[in-house]
Amino acid sequence: MKAVYALYADPDSAQLAVDSLRREGVAERSITVISSEPFEEYEFSRRDKPTWIFWLATAGGAVGLILAYLLASTTQRLWPLVTGGMPIVAMWPNLIIMFELTMLGAIIMTVITLLITARLPTTRSKLYDPEVSSGKILVGVENAPDDSIEKLKQTLRATGGEVNAG
Amino acid sequence: MSHRWGMAVDLDRCTGCEACVTACRAENNVPTVGPEQAARGRAINWIRVERYYEGEFPDVRVKFRPVLCQHCDAAPCEPVCPTYASHHTEEGLNAQVYNRCIGTRYCANACPYNVRFFDFANPVWDKPLHLQLNPDVSVREVGVMEKCTFCVQRINEGKTRAKAEGREVKDGEIKPACAQACPTTAIVFGDLNDPESEVSRLSRSPRGSKLLEDLGTKPKITYLR
Amino acid sequence: MNLEKKNKINDDLLRPVLHTSPWFYVILLVLGGIIVAGLGSWMYQMSHGLVVAGIKWPVYWAFYITNFVFWIGISHAGTLISAILRLVNATWRRPVTRCAEVITVFALMIGAMFPIIHLGRPWLAFYLMPYPSERGIWPNFRSPLVWDFFAISTYLTGSTLFLFLPTIPDFALMRDRTTGLRQRIYGMLSLGWQGTTKQWHRLESAMQIMAIAIVPVAVSVHTIVSFDFSMSPVPMWHSTVFGPYFVAGAIFSGIAALIVAMAVLRKVLHLEEYLHPVHFHNLGKLLLTMSLLWGYFTFVERLTVWYGNAPAEMAVFWETQTGSYAPLFWTMVFCNFVIPLPLLGIRRLRTITGTVIASSLIVVGMWLERFLIIVPSLAMKNLPYSWGFYRPQPVEIMITIATFAAMAFLYLLFSKFVPIISIWELKVGAHPRPVLTPQEEEEAQELWRVRP
Repeated sequence: MKAVYALYADPDSAQLAVDSLRREGVAERSITVISSEPFEEYEFSRRDKPTWIFWLATAGGAVGLILAYLLASTTQRLWPLVTGGMPIVAMWPNLIIMFELTMLGAIIMTVITLLITARLPTTRSKLYDPEVSSGKILVGVENAPDDSIEKLKQTLRATGGEVNAG
Repeated sequence: MSHRWGMAVDLDRCTGCEACVTACRAENNVPTVGPEQAARGRAINWIRVERYYEGEFPDVRVKFRPVLCQHCDAAPCEPVCPTYASHHTEEGLNAQVYNRCIGTRYCANACPYNVRFFDFANPVWDKPLHLQLNPDVSVREVGVMEKCTFCVQRINEGKTRAKAEGREVKDGEIKPACAQACPTTAIVFGDLNDPESEVSRLSRSPRGSKLLEDLGTKPKITYLR
Repeated sequence: MNLEKKNKINDDLLRPVLHTSPWFYVILLVLGGIIVAGLGSWMYQMSHGLVVAGIKWPVYWAFYITNFVFWIGISHAGTLISAILRLVNATWRRPVTRCAEVITVFALMIGAMFPIIHLGRPWLAFYLMPYPSERGIWPNFRSPLVWDFFAISTYLTGSTLFLFLPTIPDFALMRDRTTGLRQRIYGMLSLGWQGTTKQWHRLESAMQIMAIAIVPVAVSVHTIVSFDFSMSPVPMWHSTVFGPYFVAGAIFSGIAALIVAMAVLRKVLHLEEYLHPVHFHNLGKLLLTMSLLWGYFTFVERLTVWYGNAPAEMAVFWETQTGSYAPLFWTMVFCNFVIPLPLLGIRRLRTITGTVIASSLIVVGMWLERFLIIVPSLAMKNLPYSWGFYRPQPVEIMITIATFAAMAFLYLLFSKFVPIISIWELKVGAHPRPVLTPQEEEEAQELWRVRP
């Protein structure tokens, strides 16, 4: 199993390449498009499942809220010192702590979700070509079965890409 | 019986002699900062006598007002301390815990009476003046806040003695240094929970008012005009 | 955009990172010297106590807290530009976002130093951290200073992540363009980023959420800083307008600092092709709005005090309007309002030079504003016998100057190691926007709750 890919100079030809790979019967999951900037207007960028990140961030916020409430009210009850005639568990000031830790929870959860779903950081070798940072777009098939490599190379070359095998 | 310590200051009797200021310094190991630092505003006076002049010479009238920590029931200095160094005890005192204090000085800003003081430098008592230090009172180090404690060491001593003798604390038995030193007994200290005590009686006087009462701090010192 | 143009962008924006001129070292040395002097002053203060500073009874907060509020205020630049402009799809924000986010992170770090510098016993600053200590006691959550601790920690964490996440693709670019140790470091920082469509998708979604989350955090941070004042019964502090007043002032000073930083970068790093007059033009318009807003808040606050005629507050009021603080007060009004208004309001004057002049004045004016909020009120509280007068001492002045040097130093270092303009975001900005049918629009919305 190896990876087959080609580099394209502009997003339109990359889109053609993806389409032709599909016509060859390559599974959607195996088609990889790598670029140095996102091309959201193109269909090849929109093949992912919808993201759960909003719900996860909200969940992170909820965890932060609960932790903050527990931290403030429990510690205030552990050492019930009267200050300024305020109640021992002072709700209004505690709301501020709760707000901050809610936002912190949401932010940290967002970052963790990003790292996990984008598979960062990753050290195992994966498909990449430094030419991508010069602006070329990489369209390829990861884990192509050995017998189909030549056919895939032809397909990619037909749409105008510089073919390499990785 | 639980106590609620309070004070009454009779402004009519106060002569502005500042014996209270001196006695307080001696009793509580209040540091003397020296003339240069005092000129720069670093002098520490747990109790001070404020002087206000009214009128022009020769019709001048001087008003004296001893100002010390009012041990407010809704003290603005207490909730703002981040380390609980300033908090309210069950007997109504505003306590300052020196070893919790990290010196943010927020309490001093919040105090409308300006009765909280900061130790700008490590206090120094040249020999043999160190012999006069009161062993019942801690010496504060640089960077902490200090203020009047209603001579809490004397309160504790009085309560301990009364308990050892198996009786209640008598009214007038516990006297902070300022009350003890005042030649005209303008300063009266006692238990506000005891309706028969001198201080309770004076607090109910029609001449009585509280300092900056409208700020809502609920101070416990009644000033008698 | 063709490949040639893209490579030119890469080259132009990576040049400051890959090539170093000798001036860089000279400036770094000078700034470093000032910072060392500032650190020395702080060490001197720690060993001798705050007796060497100018604070006294009753003015217990002065220069250090002024600096604290000032720098936290400056840190609101990044949020406004990056997050809010991102949320409203203002495409002109793209070259400006990273400059702004960097200001936020460093200004926060510098600002957060001051609560420690001004402490009586700074070696015990950890008493503020909520952890089960052997002392058995926890911090007092009713104290605005503890709220400060939480707010600034949250904002610093959020801002650092907000800065770091969109830099990951640029770290990948630098990994591809460098060799040796630098390549390994950039490789680690890029976390193995490839640039698959899934990764881009996830990054954009995360940035969207971060932008939504960081705005309320930023507003809360400076509101909580304002609570340090408004929660105490000090005349002219105990005002309900302080929350919005401080936030508006923060955004105001933040944009001013950003304009100055951008102008310097443009000159020094030859970024004239990327930071256009239109950017200064637009930021200038925002600055004008904030100047008007600041003027509005100041007027409203002062009118309320004057009309209410409370004796304690009027003493402070007159002292700032006509008394010993009047020169500072009227300088502040001039710097924040009188001069910036024509400079920013008249289109012909709203050039790069015009906005930089206005911004520099505003930075000075806003510093004065913080000082004038803190010191006159403390100097003249309720009991006239205890009124005092504050004079800054060399220690405080040195540390203040050192923080400005520190900001420049950190900024310079950052622009040496990371491209100061976000390269991939700049390229995205040039993409033509396609005409989609309503059906396609809806499909796009479904998969992408995100806009470019």
